[in-house]
Amino acid sequence: MKKNLLAAALVLGILCSAPVRAHGDASAVSAVSALPVASVVVGGSAAASAVVALPVAFSTAGAVLVVKTVESTARGTVLLLERASDGAQASIELGARAAGGVSLAAGTVVTVSVIGAGVLLSAAGEVIAFIPNALGRALLHNERLTR
Amino acid sequence: MKTKLSIAALLLAGLLAWGAPAHAGRSCDAAPALKTATVERGLQLAESTRQALDASGAQVVVLARAGQDLGKYGLRYSHLGFAWRQPDTSQPGGTVWRVLHKLNQCGTREAAIYRQGLGEFFLDDLWRFEAAWVVPTPAVQAALLPLLLEAGTEDRPGRALRLHHKPYSIASYAWSTTYQQSNQWAIETLALGLEPSIDAAAGEGVAARRQRAQAWLQFKGYQPTALNIGPLARLGGRLTAANVAFDDHPNEKRFADRIETVTVDSVFAWLQRSGLGGAPQRLALP
Repeated sequence: MKKNLLAAALVLGILCSAPVRAHGDASAVSAVSALPVASVVVGGSAAASAVVALPVAFSTAGAVLVVKTVESTARGTVLLLERASDGAQASIELGARAAGGVSLAAGTVVTVSVIGAGVLLSAAGEVIAFIPNALGRALLHNERLTR
Repeated sequence: MKTKLSIAALLLAGLLAWGAPAHAGRSCDAAPALKTATVERGLQLAESTRQALDASGAQVVVLARAGQDLGKYGLRYSHLGFAWRQPDTSQPGGTVWRVLHKLNQCGTREAAIYRQGLGEFFLDDLWRFEAAWVVPTPAVQAALLPLLLEAGTEDRPGRALRLHHKPYSIASYAWSTTYQQSNQWAIETLALGLEPSIDAAAGEGVAARRQRAQAWLQFKGYQPTALNIGPLARLGGRLTAANVAFDDHPNEKRFADRIETVTVDSVFAWLQRSGLGGAPQRLALP
Protein backbone atom coordinates (compact mmCIF):
# COMPACT_ATOMS: atom_id res chain seq x y z
CA MET A 1 0.00 0.00 0.00
CA LYS A 2 2.88 2.29 0.85
CA LYS A 3 4.22 1.64 -2.60
CA ASN A 4 0.84 2.46 -4.10
CA LEU A 5 0.67 5.73 -2.26
CA LEU A 6 4.09 6.65 -3.44
CA ALA A 7 3.17 5.81 -7.02
CA ALA A 8 -0.04 7.82 -6.82
CA ALA A 9 1.74 10.78 -5.30
CA LEU A 10 4.30 10.63 -8.06
CA VAL A 11 1.62 10.53 -10.73
CA LEU A 12 -0.19 13.46 -9.16
CA GLY A 13 3.04 15.41 -8.91
CA ILE A 14 3.67 14.91 -12.59
CA LEU A 15 0.11 15.85 -13.43
CA CYS A 16 0.35 19.02 -11.43
CA SER A 17 3.40 20.08 -13.40
CA ALA A 18 2.09 18.81 -16.72
CA PRO A 19 3.45 20.89 -19.59
CA VAL A 20 0.21 20.84 -21.53
CA ARG A 21 -1.92 23.21 -19.53
CA ALA A 22 -4.64 25.70 -20.20
CA HIS A 23 -3.03 28.37 -18.08
CA GLY A 24 -0.39 30.28 -19.93
CA ASP A 25 -2.02 29.28 -23.19
CA ALA A 26 -0.28 31.55 -25.62
CA SER A 27 -3.36 31.87 -27.78
CA ALA A 28 -5.74 32.87 -25.04
CA VAL A 29 -7.93 35.94 -25.25
CA SER A 30 -5.66 38.82 -24.55
CA ALA A 31 -5.52 40.39 -21.12
CA VAL A 32 -6.13 43.72 -22.76
CA SER A 33 -9.86 43.17 -22.58
CA ALA A 34 -9.24 44.16 -18.97
CA LEU A 35 -7.22 47.28 -19.82
CA PRO A 36 -9.24 50.10 -18.25
CA VAL A 37 -9.23 52.73 -20.98
CA ALA A 38 -10.33 56.07 -19.55
CA SER A 39 -11.36 59.45 -20.90
CA VAL A 40 -10.57 62.85 -19.49
CA VAL A 41 -13.67 64.64 -18.20
CA VAL A 42 -14.02 68.22 -19.38
CA GLY A 43 -16.86 70.49 -18.36
CA GLY A 44 -18.79 67.62 -16.86
CA SER A 45 -18.63 65.23 -19.83
CA ALA A 46 -16.06 62.72 -20.92
CA ALA A 47 -14.18 63.75 -24.03
CA ALA A 48 -11.98 61.87 -26.41
CA SER A 49 -8.48 62.95 -25.52
CA ALA A 50 -7.78 63.67 -29.19
CA VAL A 51 -9.50 66.99 -28.79
CA VAL A 52 -8.48 67.71 -25.23
CA ALA A 53 -5.07 68.72 -23.95
CA LEU A 54 -3.92 66.35 -21.25
CA PRO A 55 -4.57 67.93 -17.85
CA VAL A 56 -1.43 69.25 -16.24
CA ALA A 57 -1.90 66.86 -13.34
CA PHE A 58 -1.27 63.89 -15.67
CA SER A 59 1.56 65.37 -17.69
CA THR A 60 4.52 64.55 -15.49
CA ALA A 61 5.90 61.05 -15.21
CA GLY A 62 6.24 59.93 -11.64
CA ALA A 63 3.72 62.48 -10.34
CA VAL A 64 1.77 61.33 -7.31
CA LEU A 65 -1.98 61.91 -7.27
CA VAL A 66 -4.62 61.19 -4.69
CA VAL A 67 -8.17 60.10 -5.43
CA LYS A 68 -10.40 62.84 -3.98
CA THR A 69 -13.82 61.49 -4.94
CA VAL A 70 -15.27 58.41 -6.63
CA GLU A 71 -18.62 58.96 -8.26
CA SER A 72 -20.76 56.29 -9.92
CA THR A 73 -22.52 57.40 -13.06
CA ALA A 74 -24.82 55.72 -15.54
CA ARG A 75 -21.84 55.05 -17.78
CA GLY A 76 -19.28 54.02 -15.20
CA THR A 77 -17.15 55.77 -12.63
CA VAL A 78 -15.76 59.28 -12.50
CA LEU A 79 -12.61 59.84 -10.45
CA LEU A 80 -11.49 63.26 -9.28
CA LEU A 81 -7.73 63.21 -8.86
CA GLU A 82 -5.48 65.81 -7.23
CA ARG A 83 -1.75 66.17 -7.64
CA ALA A 84 -0.11 66.00 -4.23
CA SER A 85 2.60 68.55 -5.01
CA ASP A 86 0.45 71.51 -6.07
CA GLY A 87 -3.21 70.60 -5.78
CA ALA A 88 -3.81 70.53 -9.57
CA GLN A 89 -7.00 68.57 -10.21
CA ALA A 90 -8.44 66.56 -13.08
CA SER A 91 -11.24 64.07 -13.59
CA ILE A 92 -11.33 60.88 -15.61
CA GLU A 93 -14.17 58.58 -16.50
CA LEU A 94 -13.85 54.82 -16.53
CA GLY A 95 -16.41 52.64 -18.28
CA ALA A 96 -18.40 50.29 -16.07
CA ARG A 97 -16.40 47.28 -17.22
CA ALA A 98 -13.06 49.04 -16.81
CA ALA A 99 -13.76 50.12 -13.28
CA GLY A 100 -15.13 46.73 -12.31
CA GLY A 101 -11.81 45.06 -11.64
CA VAL A 102 -10.29 47.89 -9.68
CA SER A 103 -10.97 48.75 -6.08
CA LEU A 104 -10.83 52.51 -5.72
CA ALA A 105 -11.69 54.77 -2.83
CA ALA A 106 -11.02 58.34 -1.82
CA GLY A 107 -7.50 58.58 -0.50
CA THR A 108 -6.03 55.98 -2.87
CA VAL A 109 -2.56 57.05 -4.01
CA VAL A 110 -2.14 57.00 -7.78
CA THR A 111 1.11 57.33 -9.73
CA VAL A 112 1.46 58.68 -13.26
CA SER A 113 3.52 56.96 -15.98
CA VAL A 114 3.91 58.81 -19.27
CA ILE A 115 4.59 56.41 -22.14
CA GLY A 116 4.64 56.85 -25.91
CA ALA A 117 1.05 55.66 -26.26
CA GLY A 118 -0.44 57.81 -23.51
CA VAL A 119 -0.65 58.01 -19.74
CA LEU A 120 -0.97 55.13 -17.31
CA LEU A 121 -2.42 55.71 -13.87
CA SER A 122 -1.52 53.04 -11.33
CA ALA A 123 -2.23 52.20 -7.73
CA ALA A 124 0.08 49.79 -5.91
CA GLY A 125 1.77 48.73 -9.14
CA GLU A 126 -1.48 47.87 -10.91
CA VAL A 127 -3.03 49.84 -13.75
CA ILE A 128 -6.27 51.60 -12.85
CA ALA A 129 -6.60 53.65 -16.02
CA PHE A 130 -4.98 54.12 -19.39
CA ILE A 131 -5.56 57.42 -21.19
CA PRO A 132 -4.39 56.84 -24.76
CA ASN A 133 -3.11 59.62 -26.98
CA ALA A 134 -3.47 59.54 -30.78
CA LEU A 135 -0.61 57.04 -30.99
CA GLY A 136 -2.17 54.85 -28.34
CA ARG A 137 -5.58 54.91 -29.96
CA ALA A 138 -4.02 53.78 -33.24
CA LEU A 139 -2.60 50.75 -31.42
CA LEU A 140 -5.88 49.71 -29.83
CA HIS A 141 -8.77 47.91 -31.47
CA ASN A 142 -10.67 44.92 -30.18
CA GLU A 143 -13.39 43.23 -32.18
CA ARG A 144 -14.61 39.67 -32.01
CA LEU A 145 -15.72 38.54 -35.47
CA THR A 146 -17.16 35.10 -34.75
CA ARG A 147 -19.33 33.84 -31.93
CA MET B 1 -5.27 -5.41 -10.41
CA LYS B 2 -5.79 -4.33 -6.83
CA THR B 3 -2.75 -2.09 -7.10
CA LYS B 4 -4.07 -0.47 -10.25
CA LEU B 5 -7.45 0.14 -8.67
CA SER B 6 -5.87 1.72 -5.61
CA ILE B 7 -3.82 4.03 -7.71
CA ALA B 8 -6.84 4.94 -9.79
CA ALA B 9 -8.89 5.69 -6.68
CA LEU B 10 -6.19 7.82 -5.16
CA LEU B 11 -5.64 9.60 -8.42
CA LEU B 12 -9.33 10.38 -8.71
CA ALA B 13 -9.50 11.58 -5.11
CA GLY B 14 -6.46 13.74 -5.64
CA LEU B 15 -7.89 15.31 -8.75
CA LEU B 16 -11.22 15.99 -7.08
CA ALA B 17 -9.45 17.58 -4.16
CA TRP B 18 -7.32 19.61 -6.51
CA GLY B 19 -10.56 20.89 -7.97
CA ALA B 20 -9.77 21.48 -11.60
CA PRO B 21 -12.61 19.90 -13.56
CA ALA B 22 -11.72 19.53 -17.20
CA HIS B 23 -14.80 21.31 -18.43
CA ALA B 24 -14.40 24.40 -16.34
CA GLY B 25 -11.75 26.32 -18.21
CA ARG B 26 -10.63 29.68 -16.94
CA SER B 27 -13.19 32.26 -16.03
CA CYS B 28 -13.39 35.31 -18.26
CA ASP B 29 -15.10 37.25 -15.51
CA ALA B 30 -12.18 37.25 -13.13
CA ALA B 31 -10.02 39.64 -15.09
CA PRO B 32 -6.51 39.58 -13.67
CA ALA B 33 -5.03 42.79 -12.33
CA LEU B 34 -2.75 44.36 -14.90
CA LYS B 35 0.72 45.12 -13.66
CA THR B 36 1.88 48.57 -14.69
CA ALA B 37 5.23 47.26 -15.91
CA THR B 38 3.50 44.63 -18.10
CA VAL B 39 1.25 47.20 -19.77
CA GLU B 40 4.10 49.67 -20.24
CA ARG B 41 6.32 47.05 -21.86
CA GLY B 42 3.52 45.55 -23.95
CA LEU B 43 2.55 48.93 -25.38
CA GLN B 44 6.20 49.79 -25.96
CA LEU B 45 6.63 46.59 -27.92
CA ALA B 46 3.47 47.35 -29.91
CA GLU B 47 4.71 50.84 -30.76
CA SER B 48 8.22 49.67 -31.69
CA THR B 49 6.70 46.95 -33.87
CA ARG B 50 4.45 49.52 -35.57
CA GLN B 51 7.47 51.66 -36.43
CA ALA B 52 9.40 48.67 -37.76
CA LEU B 53 6.45 47.43 -39.82
CA ASP B 54 5.89 50.93 -41.25
CA ALA B 55 9.56 51.08 -42.21
CA SER B 56 9.45 47.61 -43.80
CA GLY B 57 7.26 48.85 -46.64
CA ALA B 58 5.11 45.72 -46.30
CA GLN B 59 1.31 45.78 -46.47
CA VAL B 60 0.87 42.34 -44.91
CA VAL B 61 3.08 40.35 -42.55
CA VAL B 62 2.76 37.12 -40.60
CA LEU B 63 3.26 38.36 -37.05
CA ALA B 64 4.21 36.32 -33.96
CA ARG B 65 4.55 36.78 -30.24
CA ALA B 66 6.17 34.78 -27.45
CA GLY B 67 3.32 34.27 -25.01
CA GLN B 68 4.64 31.11 -23.45
CA ASP B 69 8.01 29.50 -22.77
CA LEU B 70 8.23 26.70 -25.32
CA GLY B 71 12.01 26.45 -25.03
CA LYS B 72 11.81 22.83 -23.91
CA TYR B 73 10.32 22.03 -27.31
CA GLY B 74 12.97 24.04 -29.14
CA LEU B 75 10.42 26.71 -30.08
CA ARG B 76 10.86 30.46 -29.72
CA TYR B 77 7.38 31.83 -30.50
CA SER B 78 3.94 30.63 -29.51
CA HIS B 79 1.24 32.38 -31.48
CA LEU B 80 0.80 34.08 -34.84
CA GLY B 81 -1.69 36.07 -36.84
CA PHE B 82 -1.83 38.21 -39.95
CA ALA B 83 -1.08 41.91 -39.61
CA TRP B 84 -1.89 44.40 -42.32
CA ARG B 85 -1.82 48.13 -42.86
CA GLN B 86 -5.05 50.00 -43.55
CA PRO B 87 -6.22 53.62 -43.58
CA ASP B 88 -6.82 55.10 -40.13
CA THR B 89 -10.44 56.19 -40.16
CA SER B 90 -9.91 58.54 -37.21
CA GLN B 91 -6.93 60.32 -38.78
CA PRO B 92 -7.23 61.24 -42.44
CA GLY B 93 -4.08 60.33 -44.30
CA GLY B 94 -2.80 58.10 -41.52
CA THR B 95 -2.57 54.33 -41.45
CA VAL B 96 -2.91 51.73 -38.72
CA TRP B 97 -1.92 48.08 -38.40
CA ARG B 98 -4.56 45.55 -37.51
CA VAL B 99 -4.14 41.89 -36.63
CA LEU B 100 -6.50 39.04 -37.52
CA HIS B 101 -6.00 36.00 -35.31
CA LYS B 102 -7.74 33.20 -33.50
CA LEU B 103 -8.00 33.21 -29.72
CA ASN B 104 -9.06 30.57 -27.23
CA GLN B 105 -11.93 31.56 -24.94
CA CYS B 106 -10.67 31.59 -21.38
CA GLY B 107 -9.35 28.05 -21.39
CA THR B 108 -12.54 26.50 -22.77
CA ARG B 109 -12.66 24.13 -25.72
CA GLU B 110 -13.75 26.88 -28.11
CA ALA B 111 -12.09 29.71 -29.96
CA ALA B 112 -13.07 32.72 -32.06
CA ILE B 113 -11.53 35.03 -34.63
CA TYR B 114 -10.60 38.54 -33.48
CA ARG B 115 -9.53 41.69 -35.24
CA GLN B 116 -7.28 43.61 -32.87
CA GLY B 117 -4.70 46.35 -32.72
CA LEU B 118 -1.00 45.77 -32.18
CA GLY B 119 -1.57 46.94 -28.60
CA GLU B 120 -3.96 44.09 -27.84
CA PHE B 121 -1.74 41.61 -29.66
CA PHE B 122 1.21 42.37 -27.39
CA LEU B 123 -0.69 43.05 -24.18
CA ASP B 124 -1.17 39.39 -23.63
CA ASP B 125 0.85 38.21 -20.65
CA LEU B 126 4.01 37.73 -22.68
CA TRP B 127 6.80 35.39 -21.79
CA ARG B 128 9.29 37.51 -23.68
CA PHE B 129 8.73 41.05 -24.95
CA GLU B 130 9.67 40.14 -28.45
CA ALA B 131 7.95 40.34 -31.81
CA ALA B 132 8.82 38.40 -34.94
CA TRP B 133 7.42 38.56 -38.43
CA VAL B 134 7.86 37.28 -41.92
CA VAL B 135 7.22 39.58 -44.86
CA PRO B 136 5.54 37.51 -47.58
CA THR B 137 6.46 38.09 -51.21
CA PRO B 138 4.54 40.92 -52.91
CA ALA B 139 2.37 38.36 -54.74
CA VAL B 140 1.46 36.60 -51.48
CA GLN B 141 0.71 39.94 -49.79
CA ALA B 142 -1.51 40.93 -52.72
CA ALA B 143 -3.44 37.66 -52.39
CA LEU B 144 -3.92 38.03 -48.64
CA LEU B 145 -4.72 41.73 -48.32
CA PRO B 146 -8.29 41.69 -49.72
CA LEU B 147 -9.11 38.68 -47.59
CA LEU B 148 -7.90 40.51 -44.45
CA LEU B 149 -9.62 43.80 -45.30
CA GLU B 150 -12.95 42.03 -45.83
CA ALA B 151 -12.99 39.46 -43.07
CA GLY B 152 -16.71 39.88 -42.52
CA THR B 153 -18.70 38.51 -39.60
CA GLU B 154 -20.07 35.14 -38.61
CA ASP B 155 -23.38 35.83 -40.35
CA ARG B 156 -21.69 37.19 -43.43
CA PRO B 157 -18.29 35.51 -43.38
CA GLY B 158 -15.61 36.75 -45.70
CA ARG B 159 -12.96 34.35 -46.95
CA ALA B 160 -10.82 34.87 -43.86
CA LEU B 161 -13.53 33.22 -41.75
CA ARG B 162 -14.39 30.38 -44.13
CA LEU B 163 -11.95 27.91 -42.57
CA HIS B 164 -12.55 28.86 -38.94
CA HIS B 165 -13.61 25.84 -36.87
CA LYS B 166 -14.74 26.60 -33.33
CA PRO B 167 -13.70 23.42 -31.45
CA TYR B 168 -10.22 24.10 -30.11
CA SER B 169 -7.37 22.05 -28.78
CA ILE B 170 -4.05 23.63 -27.92
CA ALA B 171 -1.98 21.00 -29.76
CA SER B 172 -4.43 19.86 -32.43
CA TYR B 173 -3.16 17.47 -35.08
CA ALA B 174 -2.03 19.43 -38.12
CA TRP B 175 -3.73 17.06 -40.58
CA SER B 176 -7.08 16.58 -38.87
CA THR B 177 -10.26 18.65 -38.93
CA THR B 178 -11.54 17.63 -35.47
CA TYR B 179 -10.10 20.66 -33.71
CA GLN B 180 -8.30 23.77 -34.87
CA GLN B 181 -5.70 25.67 -32.88
CA SER B 182 -4.83 29.28 -33.62
CA ASN B 183 -1.74 28.82 -35.78
CA GLN B 184 -3.53 26.10 -37.71
CA TRP B 185 -6.37 28.46 -38.62
CA ALA B 186 -3.79 30.98 -39.82
CA ILE B 187 -1.87 28.61 -42.08
CA GLU B 188 -5.04 27.03 -43.50
CA THR B 189 -6.39 30.52 -44.20
CA LEU B 190 -3.10 31.43 -45.87
CA ALA B 191 -3.60 28.38 -48.11
CA LEU B 192 -7.09 29.58 -49.01
CA GLY B 193 -5.75 33.03 -49.83
CA LEU B 194 -3.20 31.57 -52.23
CA GLU B 195 -5.42 28.83 -53.67
CA PRO B 196 -8.96 30.22 -54.05
CA SER B 197 -10.32 26.85 -55.29
CA ILE B 198 -10.09 25.59 -51.69
CA ASP B 199 -13.24 27.65 -51.12
CA ALA B 200 -14.80 26.96 -54.49
CA ALA B 201 -17.57 24.40 -53.94
CA ALA B 202 -20.85 25.72 -52.55
CA GLY B 203 -22.86 23.96 -49.88
CA GLU B 204 -19.90 22.21 -48.28
CA GLY B 205 -19.03 22.00 -44.64
CA VAL B 206 -15.93 23.60 -43.21
CA ALA B 207 -14.27 20.18 -42.83
CA ALA B 208 -14.18 19.60 -46.59
CA ARG B 209 -12.64 23.01 -47.17
CA ARG B 210 -10.08 22.45 -44.42
CA GLN B 211 -9.13 19.09 -45.90
CA ARG B 212 -8.37 20.79 -49.20
CA ALA B 213 -6.33 23.48 -47.44
CA GLN B 214 -4.36 20.81 -45.58
CA ALA B 215 -3.77 18.87 -48.80
CA TRP B 216 -2.45 22.05 -50.41
CA LEU B 217 -0.14 22.68 -47.45
CA GLN B 218 1.22 19.12 -47.67
CA PHE B 219 1.70 19.51 -51.41
CA LYS B 220 3.62 22.75 -50.78
CA GLY B 221 5.91 20.99 -48.31
CA TYR B 222 4.69 22.38 -45.00
CA GLN B 223 5.85 20.23 -42.08
CA PRO B 224 4.38 20.64 -38.59
CA THR B 225 6.54 20.48 -35.50
CA ALA B 226 6.65 17.07 -33.80
CA LEU B 227 6.43 17.73 -30.07
CA ASN B 228 7.55 14.96 -27.75
CA ILE B 229 4.77 14.74 -25.18
CA GLY B 230 4.69 11.64 -23.02
CA PRO B 231 1.64 9.75 -21.75
CA LEU B 232 1.56 11.27 -18.27
CA ALA B 233 1.76 14.79 -19.56
CA ARG B 234 -0.96 14.01 -22.11
CA LEU B 235 -3.17 12.54 -19.43
CA GLY B 236 -2.54 15.48 -17.14
CA GLY B 237 -3.40 17.98 -19.83
CA ARG B 238 -6.53 16.14 -20.85
CA LEU B 239 -7.81 15.76 -17.30
CA THR B 240 -7.12 19.25 -16.09
CA ALA B 241 -7.75 21.51 -19.06
CA ALA B 242 -10.77 21.80 -21.32
CA ASN B 243 -8.68 23.05 -24.22
CA VAL B 244 -6.35 20.06 -24.38
CA ALA B 245 -7.21 16.90 -26.31
CA PHE B 246 -5.17 14.35 -28.21
CA ASP B 247 -7.88 12.11 -29.66
CA ASP B 248 -7.44 13.74 -33.07
CA HIS B 249 -3.88 12.45 -33.36
CA PRO B 250 -3.34 9.10 -35.13
CA ASN B 251 -2.77 6.32 -32.61
CA GLU B 252 0.58 5.27 -33.99
CA LYS B 253 1.96 8.78 -33.55
CA ARG B 254 0.19 9.55 -30.28
CA PHE B 255 1.40 6.38 -28.58
CA ALA B 256 4.90 7.12 -29.81
CA ASP B 257 4.59 10.45 -27.91
CA ARG B 258 4.77 12.26 -31.24
CA ILE B 259 2.34 15.20 -31.31
CA GLU B 260 2.42 16.95 -34.66
CA THR B 261 0.97 20.44 -34.52
CA VAL B 262 1.27 23.79 -36.30
CA THR B 263 3.82 26.07 -34.62
CA VAL B 264 5.08 29.55 -35.41
CA ASP B 265 8.62 28.32 -35.86
CA SER B 266 7.58 25.65 -38.38
CA VAL B 267 5.42 28.13 -40.32
CA PHE B 268 8.23 30.70 -40.48
CA ALA B 269 10.72 28.06 -41.65
CA TRP B 270 8.31 26.81 -44.31
CA LEU B 271 7.48 30.30 -45.62
CA GLN B 272 11.16 30.95 -46.17
CA ARG B 273 11.94 27.45 -47.52
CA SER B 274 9.08 27.57 -50.01
CA GLY B 275 9.93 31.06 -51.24
CA LEU B 276 6.57 32.45 -50.06
CA GLY B 277 8.25 34.86 -47.66
CA GLY B 278 11.55 36.23 -46.46
CA ALA B 279 13.68 35.47 -43.42
CA PRO B 280 12.01 36.06 -40.04
CA GLN B 281 12.59 39.54 -38.61
CA ARG B 282 12.89 39.95 -34.88
CA LEU B 283 12.38 42.87 -32.54
CA ALA B 284 13.02 42.56 -28.80
CA LEU B 285 12.74 45.24 -26.17
CA PRO B 286 16.06 45.86 -24.44
